[in-house]
Amino acid sequence: MIYPLFRRSLNRRQMLKSSLLAGGSLLAASAWRPAHAQANTNKIGYIYVGPQSDYGYNYSMDLGRQYVETTLGVETTYFDNIPESAEVERVMERLIRDDFGIIFATSYGYLDHAITVGEKYPEVSFLHAGGLKLGENVGTYWADSDDAMYLAGMVAGSMTQTGKLGFLGAFQIPQVLRTINAFTMGAQSINPDVTTTVVWTGAWLDPPKEAEVANALLDGGADVLAGQVDSPLTFAQTAERRGAYVVGKDVDVTEFAPEAWLTGASWNWGPMMLALVESIQAGTWDPEFVRGTLKGGDVVLDPFGPAVPSDVQTQVLAMKEQILSGEKTVWSGPILKQDGSEVAAADVRLPMETLESMDFLVQGVIGSPS
Amino acid sequence: MTHLIRRYRRLLLGAALVAILIGLAPDALTAGWLSATLRSSSPILLVVLGEMLTQLTGVINLGVEGQMLLGACLGFAVTVITQNPWLGLLAGSLAGALLSSLHMLLCVGLKTNAIAGGVAVWVLGSGLSALIGRAYVGQKITGFGPLPGLAWLGSVGAGLTPTIVLSLLLVPAIGLVIYGSQTGLVWRAVGESVIAARSMGIRPWWIQLQGIGIGGLLSGLGGAALSVDYTLTWAENMTAGRGLVAVGLVIVARWNPFFALPAALLFGGSEALYLRLQSVGVEVSSYLLATLPYLVSLLVLVLSSTQRGGMPQGLKGVFTANPQP
Repeated sequence: MIYPLFRRSLNRRQMLKSSLLAGGSLLAASAWRPAHAQANTNKIGYIYVGPQSDYGYNYSMDLGRQYVETTLGVETTYFDNIPESAEVERVMERLIRDDFGIIFATSYGYLDHAITVGEKYPEVSFLHAGGLKLGENVGTYWADSDDAMYLAGMVAGSMTQTGKLGFLGAFQIPQVLRTINAFTMGAQSINPDVTTTVVWTGAWLDPPKEAEVANALLDGGADVLAGQVDSPLTFAQTAERRGAYVVGKDVDVTEFAPEAWLTGASWNWGPMMLALVESIQAGTWDPEFVRGTLKGGDVVLDPFGPAVPSDVQTQVLAMKEQILSGEKTVWSGPILKQDGSEVAAADVRLPMETLESMDFLVQGVIGSPS
Repeated sequence: MTHLIRRYRRLLLGAALVAILIGLAPDALTAGWLSATLRSSSPILLVVLGEMLTQLTGVINLGVEGQMLLGACLGFAVTVITQNPWLGLLAGSLAGALLSSLHMLLCVGLKTNAIAGGVAVWVLGSGLSALIGRAYVGQKITGFGPLPGLAWLGSVGAGLTPTIVLSLLLVPAIGLVIYGSQTGLVWRAVGESVIAARSMGIRPWWIQLQGIGIGGLLSGLGGAALSVDYTLTWAENMTAGRGLVAVGLVIVARWNPFFALPAALLFGGSEALYLRLQSVGVEVSSYLLATLPYLVSLLVLVLSSTQRGGMPQGLKGVFTANPQP
């Protein structure tokens, strides 16, 4: 007598009636779906892979969201801690049901899901961070921090006493390998003998492990730390505690490491997101690969810390001018891999495809690229 | 006292050996590794000890991960507010104990399945900590200063922090209570058989409540050690599975508090080792190296499983619907 409702089996007529009812309501539900209607481009949804308040990558994206909201007066919302799985499709569907017409999918692994959902809802516009594929209504945006990391590497190369730099990497993906290579090449432009030791943490956010890696690198003789994990907070604080120097990434964390701070490469997503939203609203948007630069202000070389002497600052800022004017490109040869084989000969520029699918580390980097 | 020393002379010998090794650490890198081992082991050691005490009374609590997270979060929050890391540790421990009271209610009070109850505690702890912790991300704290009077231990001594010392001292303290006192005997009796304990005039539920509560206290302390002493940061889900590792290490340690130390050191040490192997430029894929702590623990588990005994018989009731008759 636990489930009295189901104890009596249905006869054929009842079965027919109930299935018709169910089918009808399904049909009604799908017809009611506000798809194919005009998308509401004044409602913008953001999806983050980690916590919104992580003081790192996701926070930088959220600063962009806040910029768009205050500048345009549009309605925005965000969902954070969304894994890169089918879960994100459910979140996208939910945003669309709530009439959000523009969706920023800010994590690398969201791309295929955005394309899948995008095919279902052609009227909604999707913007994905850093993807290498496009859909009918899926565009990607990204900013290359290589120039800024090269300049930060120059500062690190000038400041190191031991000639050893330490780098904390999360995963061996092209974006991180590019950062390490640009940073190392910048340091080597000051002192050709500088080496960068890379330790992989295997996680975007694992503060205890990051603290341990930072300590390991410092014990091994490194005196400047840099990294690309979710947030520079932990390794910056470790460097501060141990009296070493630190180069930041994604978000400026000077206040947490006032003595250790040298400089860093921070994102500035706001203006780029604003331009994308405005072109979607104006109906002039075509899905494309948008790539921001130091020149465009999408990536910022953070203010120098008190430890950086003025002659180093002058030298780095002069190089910044050369990069902005196009006189100097970071990815021009000669570039050698770790084993000494040549990637680019003198004065040859690496093409965009090589950069975005980078799978090697340059000479002078100690660590495994795979 | 003398019979205890005689009984654990091998362990004491081992401890003396480790102390000598630490003192004689040949160079900065090895000394650094030993410090790193202690640093990364001590939060896990606290949680292992706590979970072990819970399991010794015949109850398993998978919620330690959630208790650790809440301890880390509230410990950090209180340190931010009061700027006193000691209060942070206290708050973290109490938070862990408070959350474990849910497991007491579910598991001892309502006699639900311990696995399900533990998972509920875990999920609640991780959600609560994320909610409360949001306001404290990116806040700044200053941890403990160096401990005085440890200069004779050289560079390793300089790296010792209060939570490391506390976790190391707790090992013999808990071991002596469990194997050398009436209280320990009562706890183990409850863990072996609730019926037998009851017939001896013991109230099993009261002992189990204590076991879960002290387990909560220590796992909260372990979490707080992570945020207040070790990393000086709070980040959502920062324990990253360390609580569950601790549950596994209880089995590796064969439910013996004295063995909790080598088990935790083994895991923490191999974690520190694989990161350090990368930092000296070992040419092995980092993904392979990252399996080292788990491989080592697994190996010890296989080796130690040839030793019979250790497991409290009451734990066998975990998979029955109504574990406590």
